[in-house]
Amino acid sequence: MTFDPLSLAPYLGDFLAGARLSALACALALAGALALGIVVALMRTAASPLARRCAGAYVDVFRNVPFIVQLFFLFYGLPEIGLELDAFGTGVLALALAGGAFTSDVIRSGILALDPGVLEAAQVSGLPRLAIYRRIVLPIALRTTIRPLGSVFVNLILTSSILSAITINELTGSAKIVASDTFQPFEVYALLLLLYVAMTWLVSLAAGALHRRLNRHVAGDVA
Amino acid sequence: MIEIDGVIKRYGANTVLDGVDLRIAPGEVVSILGASGSGKSTLIRCINGLERTDGGTIVVDGNRIDDPKGLQRARRCCGTVFQSFNLYPHLTALQNITLAPTEVLKTPRRQADDEARVLLAAVGLEERAGAYPAQLSGGQRQRVGICRALAMKPRYLLLDEVTSALDPEMTADVLAILARLAADGTTMLFVTHEIDFARQISSRIVFLDQGRLLADLPTGEFFAPDGGLAQPRIAQFLSKMKK
Amino acid sequence: MHDTGFTHHDLVLLLQGLGVSVGLFTATTIIGLALGTGWALLRYYRAPLLAPAVAFLAELLKNSPVLVQLFLVFFGLPVLLETDLTPVEAALITLSGNTAAFVYVIAVSAIESVGREQLETARVFGLGRWQTLRRVVAPQAAAFGVGPLTGLLVNQLQVTSLISVIGVVDLTKAGAILNVRTLAPFVVWTAVGLLYYLVARLIAWSCSRLETRLRAHSQWKGL
Repeated sequence: MTFDPLSLAPYLGDFLAGARLSALACALALAGALALGIVVALMRTAASPLARRCAGAYVDVFRNVPFIVQLFFLFYGLPEIGLELDAFGTGVLALALAGGAFTSDVIRSGILALDPGVLEAAQVSGLPRLAIYRRIVLPIALRTTIRPLGSVFVNLILTSSILSAITINELTGSAKIVASDTFQPFEVYALLLLLYVAMTWLVSLAAGALHRRLNRHVAGDVA
Repeated sequence: MIEIDGVIKRYGANTVLDGVDLRIAPGEVVSILGASGSGKSTLIRCINGLERTDGGTIVVDGNRIDDPKGLQRARRCCGTVFQSFNLYPHLTALQNITLAPTEVLKTPRRQADDEARVLLAAVGLEERAGAYPAQLSGGQRQRVGICRALAMKPRYLLLDEVTSALDPEMTADVLAILARLAADGTTMLFVTHEIDFARQISSRIVFLDQGRLLADLPTGEFFAPDGGLAQPRIAQFLSKMKK
Repeated sequence: MHDTGFTHHDLVLLLQGLGVSVGLFTATTIIGLALGTGWALLRYYRAPLLAPAVAFLAELLKNSPVLVQLFLVFFGLPVLLETDLTPVEAALITLSGNTAAFVYVIAVSAIESVGREQLETARVFGLGRWQTLRRVVAPQAAAFGVGPLTGLLVNQLQVTSLISVIGVVDLTKAGAILNVRTLAPFVVWTAVGLLYYLVARLIAWSCSRLETRLRAHSQWKGL
């Protein structure tokens, strides 16, 4: 039994390059997931039953089908209908679509938890619907859902490791190459595990801090 | 003029408003009195469109509120102050007041801020313009609520039990402000339990009982033994409120 | 030229893959439930050294990608322990541990949801710690925990799809085989997705039936 983590030192650069690609993919996917999540959450809380059902179906599908299947569907399927997207683009798209389903859940809870009295005050002051969403509903819902959104982001980071299955050399993909170069898979993958744990821990901390900062004026009992 | 004709409102099997007729002309100060469950708050919530009526019509300055465009125009004529304040928790007192003028009336930011500060000064809160609702007391929040309603320069002010959630000391402050508004000629329609206050500042008293209008009289007549008090339900109610 | 014809052999392949997926899911769920509940009991009994150790292990498993855990076990352990591991064995070990980590969190929160006054009452009546656990805490905790457990199980079903990456011929791997042979990604991956979806719904439905039964009992006990 041999265990020699220090021999990985020269490969740190590869790990960093992979980490950078992971970070980029996750950041882009998060932006997409947030935008999509807001739209879908608004559809799910809309008055129109058609909107609710469409949005509900989207969330249902993306929650009950494995991510890797979604990824393969897009990766192998999109070229068939003429959409030539590179592996990285496909990966980000898949992450954003899946992430959107989960963020819409979170934002929907935030919208539903809104004090109805506050909504009424906005309505009777003559504010048009778009302005109510833009200035009242979304700012409040996003403030209260920072922590759960942080969890979704953590999930996104962990899921991004699956992108290595379509030859993207993000963090996990890079690690696979290092493992096959060094013939030390245990050290490599143990280190990889710890790196992910560190990343997700940082994200959770950041989400907590952001939550405290955005909510420093908003107490629970404003009625 | 607010014209309420034959308004009916039901919640399931329960008829909360049973054919109510009412007219409010500019300059009037009208109090709606009645026991809990008599439909008082529901009536106000029908006027500003928070509840849909099941029968009858409500017209505010010529705008029918059962028509979406009419409702929007009617809402601009009316300012509402709520029992539970309903301030926007993520905005400062000043921002609470300037939100509607800047978004709806398209008032320029600088002008809206100045006008808001004048309103806050009138209720003694100019120092607290930058405070968030969580940092204000109940009475202060309600005063901001009043300013917020006034910021749109409404023709009619609707007040729904605006002191019920306040302790006696804060209640007195808010009532003083309302009395001043009434004296300045603001048209007000309010639902209240404060009988003495209603008697002091109203020009007219309306009494609702189980969804029906039992009386609609000038204040003096309402409290006269041969006027409002002649009705047993009203006399019973008033004596209970006197404790 | 490619062979686009679908035969009934293809359906058989998919169903075999489904069988492998469901089989592994069931086995790892049972092991994970037992393990995770055991860890939670260690915490309940405040076992020195063991309780914080499993808490730490659970954190590691929850906050790192399952794919990386699979690589660590399948590629890393054999080198470290100088032994051999089949893909199925690696999948069993990894998924059981991963499930256990999440079950641990749910079990801990379910046990803690049983009010303190219940434990005090039991103690006053002379019930020992084990009896309190069996007769007072466990039934209520179970009713409380079924909800979150449903979500976990549906998620862990999706997670089984990753074992295809280390070569287990599960439903996803069957899909990959068919995809390469027939070059009809939309048909193949939709079929695979649909099968996962249906099983996920079945799990959710069974769990909600179970929850109704558990809660009915606990309501009756409220007399």
